[in-house]
Formats: sequence, C-alpha cells, structure tokens
Amino acid sequence: MKNLLNKELRLSSHLLSYLFLFFSIMALIPGYPILVSAFFVCFGLFQTFQNGRETNDILYSALLPIDKKDVVKARYIFVCLIQIIAFILMAVLTALRMTFFANATPYANNAMMNSNPVFLAWTLLIFALFNTLFVGLFYKTAYKFGKPFIAFIVASMLTICVAEVSHHLPGLEFLNTSDRLPLQFMLMFFALVIFVFATIISCRIAQRNFDLLDL
Amino acid sequence: MTPVLIVENLIKTYPAFRLGPVSFKVEAGSIMGFIGRNGAGKTTTLKSILNIAHPDSGSIRYFGQELPGNERAIKQRVGFAGGAVDYYPRKKIADMIAVTRSFYDNWDDEAYRKYMDIFSIDPQKSPRELSEGMKVKLNLVIALSHKAELLILDEPTSGLDPISREELLEIFTALKERGVAILFSTHITSDLDKCADHITYIKKGEIVASDTMESFITGHSIRGEGRNLEEIMLHYEKEDYREKFAE
Repeated sequence: MKNLLNKELRLSSHLLSYLFLFFSIMALIPGYPILVSAFFVCFGLFQTFQNGRETNDILYSALLPIDKKDVVKARYIFVCLIQIIAFILMAVLTALRMTFFANATPYANNAMMNSNPVFLAWTLLIFALFNTLFVGLFYKTAYKFGKPFIAFIVASMLTICVAEVSHHLPGLEFLNTSDRLPLQFMLMFFALVIFVFATIISCRIAQRNFDLLDL
Repeated sequence: MTPVLIVENLIKTYPAFRLGPVSFKVEAGSIMGFIGRNGAGKTTTLKSILNIAHPDSGSIRYFGQELPGNERAIKQRVGFAGGAVDYYPRKKIADMIAVTRSFYDNWDDEAYRKYMDIFSIDPQKSPRELSEGMKVKLNLVIALSHKAELLILDEPTSGLDPISREELLEIFTALKERGVAILFSTHITSDLDKCADHITYIKKGEIVASDTMESFITGHSIRGEGRNLEEIMLHYEKEDYREKFAE
C-alpha cells in the first residue's frame, strides 16, 4: 500500500489537486456561500481522475504485482488525504475567525454562513458526497466520469443551498452563531461519523466493482 | 520442463463476440507468435491472461501455478508491453522508474542502467518525447530490469518503421537465447517469420492451430494452404470483394 500511495502522489495525482487546497481560504470570505470551498477542493481531486484516464494510470496500476483492489484503496486514501488537509486548513481558519475576528463587522453583519463547527460539518458532508457519488460511481467503469461528476455537482449544490437556507429558518439560527458551541461540535462529530462510514462503505463497493471490471 | 504459460479452454463471451475456447502453451526460451487479423481476439486473450479481463471459463497457469490466488507472485515474473500504450506521457522516465522499481522484489538497478544504455533511452526525457519503437523498448527495459521470465507483447511492432521493427526482432531473438519466453501477438506475418518458434493462429475468436512454426508451415504447405505465414493468413482470411461488389 505504501508503494501504491507513493505512486498516487508522484505519478497519478494532478497538480491542481494540491493547488485547489488553497480554496480552503474561501472559508473566511464574508457574504459568500463559503461551502463552495469544499466543492472546489473536490473539483481539484476530480482533475486527478481525469489525468489518470489520460495517462493510462488504471492499466499501469492493474498490471503491477499488486492486489487489484488496492488500486482503488490507494486512490481513496489519496482523496481522503487531500480532504483531511483541506479540513484542517478550514478548521484553523474557522478557529481564527471565531477568536481574533469574532466581532469583526463583515462577519457580524453576514447574511450568509460564517465559518463555525457547523460549516465544518457541512464540509464533511460534501466530501462524503464526493467519495460516494463521484469516486464510488467512477469505479463502476474506471473510465466514465461524466455522470458521476454531474451527480456530485447536483448533490453538492443542493447541499450548499440547504446549508445556506437552514440557518435562516426559525429555531435553527444557532447553526450560524458563535454560541451553542457544544451542540455545533456535536453536529460536526455526527458529520464526521457519516463521512467515515460513507467513505469506507463506498470504498468497499468500488473495490468490488473494479475487481469485476474488464479493463 | 514445465511450460511458463499454459492456457486451456479459455472462453469469454461479449454481446457481439465470442472468444474461445483458446488453448496454447508457451515454453521457456521460445517465442510464441500469436497471430490473427485485427479483431480476431488477440488482445482479449492477452487481457484475460493478464487478469485485466475476466474469462467466463478456462484455466491459466504460469510457471506451474494457477493465476487466481497467485497473481502477485506471477506478475513479479511477467512483463507486458503494448504497441500503442504509453503510461504517464508527460512524466520524466526517471520519476516513473523510481516508482515502478519499488513494486518489484527482483528489480536490478545495474540491469536497468545497462538496458537504458543499450537502447539509448535518456531517463530525463518523458515518454511522449520517445518514438513508438523507443516506447516499446522502454517497456522492455522495465520488464528486463525486474528479471521477467515471460514477456507478453501486444502488437509491439505495429506502426513502427522497418528499421525499428528489425531492431526489436533482434532484441526478441537475443532475449529468447537468454531463456526469456515471449508471447508475441501480431498481425504482421513477416515479423514472426524471422523470430517465432511456435505459432498460435486465432480466427474470429477461435484457435485454428497451435504448433511449432515448422509443423505449422509444413502442414499447411502439404494441404496447399500456403507456403509461408502470409500465404496461410490469406488462405484463412481473404474475402473476395470483387464477388461481393458484383452481387
């Protein structure tokens, strides 16, 4: 697995998968649907899948003396690695916003979502959608990524809309405040559990589908 | 001596094509020419042998071991080169090799440098800067550096100029003399005339014959079906288009 992960980092991955990590900074933009940052991180990861198809990465990997299922596992690990780095960056920026810029006017008067633990929870849900809808469906063919990516775009955009609307609903204002932190952290933990389970289950299904594929 | 590869009754069915039953053996230190026209099932057979396509039934044994359950160990001893495939065309060859070598237990850096030198491949170049012939040679370098005992080559000479083809055929013959077995799929009969010891002929998914080159040619010659591979292929495959157009 170490060798395969090394291959992912040095040969398979596309530069944009790393560069798009900078979109995590969008977590600080006031008056903007900041969850789009999670979408962009996933869009960067999409470039690696596109690059893999252009460079015969799948065939190269399948011919190596390895267990074919590990090809999929290594890609999931790479995807999660980028997502975890993005999540940590967003978490640090969120902590900054909630401490040093807690009373800054642009955030105090922000009608859109501010970065807080609930924002991080929504981020994890978008990453889970990418891992299940895009990555999971991609390995049904290991070639076609159009439909899986459209499925992810639709689902993630709906999620962003729901996230931005929800904190305006009566009784749910706490989703976009800086108080009720324990409840917000609980929601983040709940999203983390969903992310982990969705990713593991999707990886297993993708491994099975890939193993059955004729390349 | 146990053959390095035994394929028995391999069958693979697609909606519009049926492969098999395919059976043949490849002996150590020999070149098996796997011949048939485009679309006959050569690549599907090779993909099944490499376990990147799943046959419906049949048995594949390498070095006396069944492929299922022993794939990792078997692939340590097998090399593959396809004529039209290049991996990571924009990466530096040196970077690609640095990753590839880590997967092989028997990787020999000295052999790698020697073959890169023999084939005059610059590791600082990327595969897209190589000619088609050089790309095949690069895949051969990788296979030889991990001491592959069997090379599976899918149309390695297709699209090459006559000089490159001749060079590759010389390389294959030299490797055979060093004990490497080669399964060489092609539709270019003249390539096999020069180097093959055995011939397996596939037509529309079915094996027509699998024999030593000498017996294959003699048998067909006696029956008046051609005196060399090209004539035999024409005997099996040629369609009379003048008649068809006249209908």
